[in-house]
Amino acid sequence: MQKGKWGRRLGILGLVVYGIFILFPIYWTVNTSFKHVGDVYKVPPAFIPPDFTLEAYQFVLQGTGRIALGNSLIVGILATVLAVVLGTMASYAYSRYPNTPLTNETAQFNLLTLRMFPPIAFLLPIFWFWKTFGLLDTYFSLVITYAAFNLPLAVWLLKGFLDALPRSIEEASYVDGYSFWQTARRIVLPLIGPGLAATVALTWIFIWNEFIIAYLLGGRNVLLYTAYLPSLRRGMRIMWNQIAALSILAIIPSIIILIFFRKHLIKVYLR
Amino acid sequence: MLFPKRMPKRPLYLIIPPQLLVLAIVIFPLLWAIYISFHSWNPTISPERRFVGIANYIAVLKDERFLASLGRMLYYSGVGVTIQLVLGTLIALALVEYIRSERLRTFALVVFLLPMMMAEAVVAQMWTLLVTDTGTINNILVWLGFSPIGWRTQKLALTTLMIVDIWQWTSLPLLIAYAARISVPERLLESARLDGASKFLILRKIILPYMRVPLAIAFLLRFMDSYKFLDKVFIMTYGGPGTATELPTFYLYQTAFSYFNVGYAASMSWIFGIMAVVAMLIFWRLTKRA
Repeated sequence: MQKGKWGRRLGILGLVVYGIFILFPIYWTVNTSFKHVGDVYKVPPAFIPPDFTLEAYQFVLQGTGRIALGNSLIVGILATVLAVVLGTMASYAYSRYPNTPLTNETAQFNLLTLRMFPPIAFLLPIFWFWKTFGLLDTYFSLVITYAAFNLPLAVWLLKGFLDALPRSIEEASYVDGYSFWQTARRIVLPLIGPGLAATVALTWIFIWNEFIIAYLLGGRNVLLYTAYLPSLRRGMRIMWNQIAALSILAIIPSIIILIFFRKHLIKVYLR
Repeated sequence: MLFPKRMPKRPLYLIIPPQLLVLAIVIFPLLWAIYISFHSWNPTISPERRFVGIANYIAVLKDERFLASLGRMLYYSGVGVTIQLVLGTLIALALVEYIRSERLRTFALVVFLLPMMMAEAVVAQMWTLLVTDTGTINNILVWLGFSPIGWRTQKLALTTLMIVDIWQWTSLPLLIAYAARISVPERLLESARLDGASKFLILRKIILPYMRVPLAIAFLLRFMDSYKFLDKVFIMTYGGPGTATELPTFYLYQTAFSYFNVGYAASMSWIFGIMAVVAMLIFWRLTKRA
């Protein structure tokens, strides 16, 4: 009995230490974002901002930071919609008609291969592809590229939800005289609604968080926040408080999604 | 009878738009990359493409810088992903075993998952502030009377990146291990306890077998991602100091976008990409057998 108690204490201690390890960098970023830049490097380090200020947030939200966050939002939303719409179409075909040359197991596996290849290996040809059409650094090229890269994820997630939906429900709907699209709109989509929502959330996070595509295919006309963030570190004096403020603003949407979808996230990885 | 006559054609309408997108953005550029990989071409020097056969491929396989970067990747992925897996499993088990309150457990889980939801670019920035020479961690060390640590030196830089990656991505195996652990039927554990089995025996004979396949999948997912690893190298060290953190993805980036040695980079992409797919197929097989 005594031994079990010590095991428990040790276990809880481990969890607390790990919690501190996880939270410290986040706490420190929040802390830094409320400091004047002069206070950032102080020894001993200031665990609470000595002179609490919102100037970093003001700077980030007035200038390029706001443009970059706005661009990320636009590209993220459009690309997510495109990826999920096309992903729903593809996963329905994969799930219900797995016997044509375009939808058999090989075709499905080929789509997944996309996720195995390192993106950087694709980006050289894609860079020249968009350059050739004069579309480099536009909303169009970024949205299309992001949608293509995240299509496999959307298909992989959605197919699981569709496979779990019994076919007899759709058959009953046809018997009632509904057409294909009516069935899709009134029966299938509402029934996989929660799965669809989780897919939208995860796809959006992947696109929102992406860096190298944003850096290589965008940057001047369409500057996304992930590409803007490193550029804040150039120059004589590194504005750590601004970097921290932009970082905090950028992780807020993901935290909201995490809190809303925590149960779904666990379910997704249960399969 | 149940389906309208036009039904069987529907999947083709549905599958064509997604396939077209993949064809345009992925297949077509990849085929172009094969074509280019047989040429010597540097558009910043001359627009002319010279056919060189498989010379590029041979040169890549003999390129010591490329081979050295592969070695770094093996260290980085092998050690890093193993630590993530072991740590994630331990934390997940401790969470289920020692936290009784359902609410507290979910709260802890959400906190532990936070890093995974953040952009690599943001994480890289956050940690750079912590590990620069006059950064937070060193300031705390100096304040406590220790000597500062050279996190970004030749010797330590790759390991520093590994620590940051462990910070961010232990979440994923943790989540998978947690899901696997709570899927063990409570009845099974109860009857084992009644039979007087020790905790260690229950762990080894009942819980771990349930977790084996999910953990293999977690390893697969993490290995796949660390294979693609680029963002943190790019932002935190830019491959340096020297070539200390130059992983294959970064060398590929340099060749393609700094030196614009396009033909050479294209053949490197293909070699690296094929290696990725082969590695995945092997792991896939092993997972299925497990």
